[in-house]
Amino acid sequence: MIRDSQDVIVKTLARLLMPFIIVYALYVVMHGHHSPGGGFQGGVILAAGFVLLGISYGLGETRKRMSEKVAGVISSIGVFIYAGIGALCLILGGNYLDYGKLSKVLRVTPAQARSLGILGVEIGVALAVMAVMFTIFFVIFTVGESLEDDRSGK
Amino acid sequence: MIDFFLILSVGMCVLVLCCLYRATYGPGVLNRAAGISAIGTKTLIILLIMGVIYDRIDMFIDISMVYALLNFIGTVVLAKYIERTGEA
Repeated sequence: MIRDSQDVIVKTLARLLMPFIIVYALYVVMHGHHSPGGGFQGGVILAAGFVLLGISYGLGETRKRMSEKVAGVISSIGVFIYAGIGALCLILGGNYLDYGKLSKVLRVTPAQARSLGILGVEIGVALAVMAVMFTIFFVIFTVGESLEDDRSGK
Repeated sequence: MIDFFLILSVGMCVLVLCCLYRATYGPGVLNRAAGISAIGTKTLIILLIMGVIYDRIDMFIDISMVYALLNFIGTVVLAKYIERTGEA
């Protein structure tokens, strides 16, 4: 378990870097289709921001911002967005993840619908990857700790 | 001009080998952590030089920024781990 410490350099750097990390992650997600990156990479950068928060301000402070339960809900929402867009294309008479059919719902041309559909799928992937990466980090760094909590709780 | 950048990147690769020696045989954990961090910084520069050589610098800047970010976070995590286990 990582506790809150008095490291001025690490804390200040984390506070200064955090907004840039989030904005850069959103840039990587949004520009996934014409530069390197995409949903997975953007999600990993978002999770790296939360890992930086966790190791600089302690896991107790991080748990207030985002707990394991919230991370589980966010990862489920991400998978739901991905599968939902795919199933919507299926319902509208195309193949699974056939974004061109979304033009009927979004009222744009099929080419624009393809671009928007890929963006939606990438946002879903980014949310799922971010939450799962955060959960993996949290579980690894609290190993043993949660067992003791369970024992004392019961 | 391309030749200049190629020679530069080969020189950086030789420097990476020097840091790799320190990261492999270095006495103590802190020397190894510093060696790994230096290798990450040199890799970043090599990536940018590759971008200049292939004339796709706009693509490689994105990758190198992520690399720098993850290198920094990795070094901080390693430092925290050493602090926790107390083996320096």
